Amino acid sequence: MIQFDNVNKVYEGDVKAINNVDLTVPDGEMVILIGPSGCGKTTLLRMVNQLETISSGSILLNGEDVTTLDKIEMRRKIGYVIQSNGLFPNMTIEQNMMIVPQLLGWDRAKKRDRFNYLMDLIGLNPDEFKKRFPHELSGGQQQRIGVARALAADPPVMLMDEPFGALDPIIRARLQEEFLQIQREVKKTILFVSHDIDEAVKMGDKIVLLRDGEVMQYDTPAEILNHPKNEFVNEFVGSDRVLKSMSLYTVKDLYKAFTLKPNFESKDIRTINEDTSLRVAISMILNQEADQLVIEDNEGNNHGSLTMDLLEQFLHKEIKGQEG
Amino acid sequence: MDTFNKRTALVVKILLWTAIAAFFIWGFSQGMFRQIYEQPGLFLELLGEHVLIIFASGFAAVLIAVPLGIFVTRPAFRRTEWFIVTVANLGQTIPSLAVLALAMGVLGIGVEAAILALFVYSLLPILQNTIAGLDSVDENTKDAARGMGLTNLQILWKVELPNAVVSIIAGIRTALVINIGTAALAYLVGAGGLGVWIFTGIRLFDNSYLISGAVPVTLLAIAVDLLFRYLERVLTPKGLILAREANEA
Repeated sequence: MIQFDNVNKVYEGDVKAINNVDLTVPDGEMVILIGPSGCGKTTLLRMVNQLETISSGSILLNGEDVTTLDKIEMRRKIGYVIQSNGLFPNMTIEQNMMIVPQLLGWDRAKKRDRFNYLMDLIGLNPDEFKKRFPHELSGGQQQRIGVARALAADPPVMLMDEPFGALDPIIRARLQEEFLQIQREVKKTILFVSHDIDEAVKMGDKIVLLRDGEVMQYDTPAEILNHPKNEFVNEFVGSDRVLKSMSLYTVKDLYKAFTLKPNFESKDIRTINEDTSLRVAISMILNQEADQLVIEDNEGNNHGSLTMDLLEQFLHKEIKGQEG
Repeated sequence: MDTFNKRTALVVKILLWTAIAAFFIWGFSQGMFRQIYEQPGLFLELLGEHVLIIFASGFAAVLIAVPLGIFVTRPAFRRTEWFIVTVANLGQTIPSLAVLALAMGVLGIGVEAAILALFVYSLLPILQNTIAGLDSVDENTKDAARGMGLTNLQILWKVELPNAVVSIIAGIRTALVINIGTAALAYLVGAGGLGVWIFTGIRLFDNSYLISGAVPVTLLAIAVDLLFRYLERVLTPKGLILAREANEA
């Protein structure tokens, strides 16, 4: 658990970089720090592992004030991933990944097992990559190694500073998916800096929206999108926020919300899988791929058909409904 | 264009080697190298002095300049950089002859004075290349290292120095090659070396002395240059060679 307790950072000349931040990152959750450039999101992240000093207030890591901990020891217990992967060009992939275990004095067998496990986790062949060097790898592979390196000593807490920011959109999307999978397995407490609201909505259990070092809203993605607290949040999430919020729901959520009759008058009708996000469903309908889409679950059972009408009803019920 | 360049390079290469071969054929036929085989004992003695001056001064310069370069690139001491580099620069700006004369003023006539002068002369290239090498290490890489809990010493040893080693060796190579030429002046402070024959040749208008002294100095410079280029290649971490190739591609 990471607790920010009335945290401030003031630079010389009274410039307030971080202003009275109070928030808690619960165990096993991924909290996204987001905001326009210069809002202090990276500074706030770096204050946790003491790469930046804290002017006043305190940051507690599992109940302990970070300033009272030994910096070096504490950092070895926190996974740290940065945007430009930060791999050491002079070391092999294996040496790179095992750097913290090496510092912690793990024996060889333990390091080898951990390396193989992590490589499997990120979907790279351990034997193939072991002796290779960072520059022989593609950007996506390098970033995977960067993430795996942060996981090497199995730290309970991870700090990730725009880990996928430098990748092209296709690779970024794939790494986001992969990392969500990994997180489901490892359940780390994660503070994650992003500048991309779509990424934040997709990845975060909760989102912290910052402006000028101040927390504008700290909520679940759905709350931020559906109930922006103020004009700034509203503007930041974008006027297509309803559409964005649809990516939080799947077709399954929709047919669970209504009682639909199976549709068997199958002439020339397209089907849609229940795990598809509603955002994709809307786009398929708007694209006029079909007037209605037959909902299919993973066993191939028919759950009725999805129409624009139904989507609108769902929108009112789920999103607008909560407002009233 | 590319094949044109290659062809030009080949022609230049052939012409150069022909000229060099012609020079040596001329030299031997005229007995220009006779001092070497007529007085082999003296030749080896002078060569030995020359090599001693170069390597003693170079070694001392490495011992001082590399740690100094590490020192000024530590964030806490960064502000001393301009001062130290300026001082080192001073050693370099004064003409080599004057540095020799000053060294003689301090240590008197002899090998020590020559070693001191060349030591001062070597500091700057090694210092500057050490600083440049350490500065060229990616800030993000260092940040990642710090964030993962490496101590400053571990960052220096595991990350900064391996990544700066190419540049540091290049600095040492530059310093030594310059010194081999400059060491020919060591004769003037009574330190011996192959300069003895070069200056004898100049005074007596005897080209055989001149060439028997000057050509070995040149060959020595080339040999040291090649040796250090080889060392650069061997000592560069493999990952860095790949990184450089990746950046060039």
